Amino acid sequence: MMSAMRGRVLVVDDDTALAEMIGIVLRSEGFEPVFCEDGDEALGVFRATQPDLVLLDLMLPGKDGNEVCRQIRGESGVPIVMLTAKSDTVDVVLGLESGADDYISKPFKPKELVARVRARLRRSDEPAPEHLTIGDVSIDVPGHRVERAGRPVSLTPLEFDLLVALARKPWQVFTRETLLEKVWGYRHAADTRLVNVHVQRLRSKIENDPEQPEIVVTVRGVGYKAGVTPT
Amino acid sequence: MRVAGTWRLLRARAGRRVRSWIHAWRSSLQTRVLTTTTAIGLIMLLLVGTYVGTRMRDSLFEGRLEQVLEESARSTQQAQATFDSSPANTGVEVLGLLTDVAKAQAAGGSGEREVFLLRAPGQSSPLSINSAASDASLVEAVVTPEMQLQTARGGQHWQSVGWPVADGEEPAVIVGQDVTVPVVGTFQLFFLYSLQAEQDRLDFLQRTLALAAVAMVLLLGVMTWVVTRQAVRPVRRAAQVAERLADGHLSERMPVRGQDEMATLARSFNEMAAGLQDQISRMEELSTMQRRFVSDVSHELRTPLTTIRMAGEVIHASRDDFDPAVRRSSELLQTQLDRFEDLLADLLEISRFDAGAAVLDAEGRDVRDVVVAAADHAFPLAERRGTWLRVDLPERKAAADIDPRRVERILRNLLVNAIEHAEGSAVEVTVAADEYAVAVTVRDHGVGMTKVEATHVFDRFWRADPARARTTGGTGLGLAISLEDAHLHGGWLEAWGRPGLGASFRLTLPRRAGIRLTSSPLPLVPADTSTAQVLAPVVRASTDPASLPELADENAHELQHERSGDAAPASDDARQEAR
Repeated sequence: MMSAMRGRVLVVDDDTALAEMIGIVLRSEGFEPVFCEDGDEALGVFRATQPDLVLLDLMLPGKDGNEVCRQIRGESGVPIVMLTAKSDTVDVVLGLESGADDYISKPFKPKELVARVRARLRRSDEPAPEHLTIGDVSIDVPGHRVERAGRPVSLTPLEFDLLVALARKPWQVFTRETLLEKVWGYRHAADTRLVNVHVQRLRSKIENDPEQPEIVVTVRGVGYKAGVTPT
Repeated sequence: MRVAGTWRLLRARAGRRVRSWIHAWRSSLQTRVLTTTTAIGLIMLLLVGTYVGTRMRDSLFEGRLEQVLEESARSTQQAQATFDSSPANTGVEVLGLLTDVAKAQAAGGSGEREVFLLRAPGQSSPLSINSAASDASLVEAVVTPEMQLQTARGGQHWQSVGWPVADGEEPAVIVGQDVTVPVVGTFQLFFLYSLQAEQDRLDFLQRTLALAAVAMVLLLGVMTWVVTRQAVRPVRRAAQVAERLADGHLSERMPVRGQDEMATLARSFNEMAAGLQDQISRMEELSTMQRRFVSDVSHELRTPLTTIRMAGEVIHASRDDFDPAVRRSSELLQTQLDRFEDLLADLLEISRFDAGAAVLDAEGRDVRDVVVAAADHAFPLAERRGTWLRVDLPERKAAADIDPRRVERILRNLLVNAIEHAEGSAVEVTVAADEYAVAVTVRDHGVGMTKVEATHVFDRFWRADPARARTTGGTGLGLAISLEDAHLHGGWLEAWGRPGLGASFRLTLPRRAGIRLTSSPLPLVPADTSTAQVLAPVVRASTDPASLPELADENAHELQHERSGDAAPASDDARQEAR
């Protein structure tokens, strides 16, 4: 599925200097950057270029980053990484809730950027057929399909990875830090809000009642685990 | 027993009454003015009343006395004339004459009067005729020997006497004068006048006067009350409004009615309040603008800094291709960019605290783990500096509701600071916990600092010795941010130091939100210093526990569980929980 290029990355940022610099770094790592400077045009460029990942600045002329994020998420599960100058809780959570998978706060180092992009593009193309179940949710790992009670559920790649990570070891309680490492690829402790927000999003898709979760269960004071259905 | 109990009860009640009176007297201007005015009015009225009453009585008595004396003089003349013209010769005739005169005179006066004819003292006569009276029974009671002797000296003589009646005595006056009766010689003619009518009038007048006085006092009281109320109410209102203003309700104003002095007071008061409000809101606005400016600048700088940073990295990555000068330049660019970035991050963090936008993301954590993480982070620096880093952890879990990111940042700052100033000596980290708090001390044995310096270490961009060169290139905001972080937890961050004896920093965090710290499980001043008795001035959080964030449910549950399992360590200090 990958060409000679390691992936096409759409960079939505109005700061041309930064966009160009990001382009230089990405190109040197073998990615193919595509640029867009305006929030209003972002969706059109996205449709035209079909990127494998979107780097999205939150402060944009025209539509703001959150709105663009919501639009792209509306029609695609492509990984979205926000670039933000504000690392305040409200801004980050707002961005994550509008569908972003991860975020990088400015100023960041090239290595950091590349690591984040790689982590999101790292598709585990395991050839071995693997089938997992939690309660009445069945997961076809190589086929990237999830069904709940026979009905297909559409998950973004990140939500899928999160679910698979939990489902592979239903006996284990995952701390937020472990999940950050396994799913997001962070080696050092990072923002655990990422986990919280995405668990909420995952629950809203696969739980009967997200207020009373049965598939992704909170273990108080520790983290999350796959729900084990009795009998 | 019972009597004593009742007595005690009464005394206590009386005491309370007295105390409440004293309190009312002290606290209320109105009570004071009312009491004083009524008391003065009462005294004045008593004096005036006594004076008027006496004058009234005297004038009534004198008027009546004059009338009585005149009348009795006339009657005496009449009687004398009757005696002179009488042809009586025998004892029987004389006796008849006397009786007739007495009866005639008794009927002849104005109002009620009694008449007595008595033989003058020291007179003797062959006839045993001693007296004649309109009412003989009264003679003994009203005509005293002194009266008779006085009368015998000649002329008219009077005396106040009591007139015995069925129910007591009536005031009366008796007037006597000598008359010459044929055959038997000198007799004394007495007239007894009752003053009961005058007494009745006097009583009536005095009653009226007393009634008027009571009415006056009441009127005075009511007037004073109304007047003071008018004066005191605006003052009270002003006091209330001033209190509200002081509590921060800056839009509070006094109602302005009319044009009088009170209205002027209200208007000036309101003008003052408006002035204050203006000033405060202007200052608040200015401060908000300043804070936003700092925040905006920090944010605006981030995007170009990102570009520079990336460009720098790219150049730095290929530095081996450059000649030595450019290579060194790229390295300098790199390190200074790191420093610039740290400074910007700290500046932004401080501006977040200043704006009140810092949020505590608390969770139940073992503080020992956080200390270990911070020590791990500081270890490479300690190694480079040749400093021995010793961490002393308690065996028991030191769980507390903390924001691990912030606490680790505090500890890193303290460790880096200690290692920098240790000058190769050992740095000791000690952790201890009690029922209410967890404390971490970071002690170094380096250059130390003075008392004054210890009070300034948490100031922004403060440096103990401005002349001293910066070595590790800290931002100068690290300890200031640490202090804010500690305050955000409702905790303390304190510094102690002595020149040559090293320094000690103590972080004390409450184990749960809402615990108000009163002491720390660890001493700030190390036990191994000879000057331990001299306490350094410490900087202490004044965080209101009410403003502390609520606990997340999960953590509260976990903590409770642990606590019930723990054997609670005995606490020597009185500590209270704020909730």
